[in-house]
Amino acid sequence: MFTDRGLERYQRQIALFGVEAQEQLARARVVIVGAGGLGCPVALYLAAAGIGEIRLVDGDIVDRTNLNRQVLHGDRDVGRAKVESAAGKLRAQNPEIRVVATCTTVDDENAALLVSGADLIVDAADNFAVRYTLNRVALQAGVPLVHGAVRGFDGQATTIIPGRTACLECIFPVAPPVEAVTPVVGTTPGIIGLIQANEAIKYITGTGDLLTGRLLVWDGHAATMTTLPVERQEDCSACGIGRC
Amino acid sequence: MQVRVRAFARLREAIGGDLMLEVPPGATMSMLLAAVGETSEQAEEALFEESGELRGYVILMHNGKRVRRAEAMTLTLADGDEVALFPPVAGG
Ligand SMILES: [Zn+2]
Repeated sequence: MFTDRGLERYQRQIALFGVEAQEQLARARVVIVGAGGLGCPVALYLAAAGIGEIRLVDGDIVDRTNLNRQVLHGDRDVGRAKVESAAGKLRAQNPEIRVVATCTTVDDENAALLVSGADLIVDAADNFAVRYTLNRVALQAGVPLVHGAVRGFDGQATTIIPGRTACLECIFPVAPPVEAVTPVVGTTPGIIGLIQANEAIKYITGTGDLLTGRLLVWDGHAATMTTLPVERQEDCSACGIGRC
Repeated sequence: MQVRVRAFARLREAIGGDLMLEVPPGATMSMLLAAVGETSEQAEEALFEESGELRGYVILMHNGKRVRRAEAMTLTLADGDEVALFPPVAGG
């Protein structure tokens, strides 16, 4: 299915996991919710890896305070919709994929439509209200969800397979508090975003061990990464007995 | 007896790394959490609400197993146990 250009573009990946896995990437549809600190690196690396369809969803516009970490947006993009700014960069990076930009905030009303037909959802949101919505819609649709979150030098990531692993509400039954301004250094979402992109590539190609049933915790101050075991909770309000 | 405390994210900054805490035999998870809070004002703030209640979002683990908040009062610790405390982050 690849042209000579395509075979050349993905040569190093095909050498790694074969042309069939590369075709799986080309057939995949991934929804990335959030085109900010996490969403930018996730989208850029998934575009470069050759994910066939990337759907970006974010209702925000680019603000100058975003630029320390939201690496797809530049000074000239201030004031533009984040999804438009990001989509332009992704199309320039890889014209062989389809990029769909939707400028809206995910909520309980629109979530099911936004993720319909997707193979994977990437949680690159900046708040737990949207994350819980994504978790519920992922459980309903049976679509895996790759969670990531950051603050300061700290980050966390996990991969949720509906019906098999702990869901987001099993792991985080109570949302951490909302902050007016979340302090963060750009490298933190860079690192966590790339872990999420790596999970997406592994899931789609069936390669390696996923972060399922494990919460990865990154401490950028100490430069250490740990995984903590996480289990499904019978009384989970999202996926507990009788709910999923 | 001694219990090892592994702290993550803001709590780690607050207590400056992992801790070995001396607690009386038969101490519960709640008693250990109170002892961690007493190490500094920042640790107290990272773990507890102003009301003194444990912050609901902090993830508690005992020897690698998740502990529910309701169990913290009754879960007794043993010498050499490891407790992990993780306040999750929320930004993106
Ligand atoms: Zn659950």
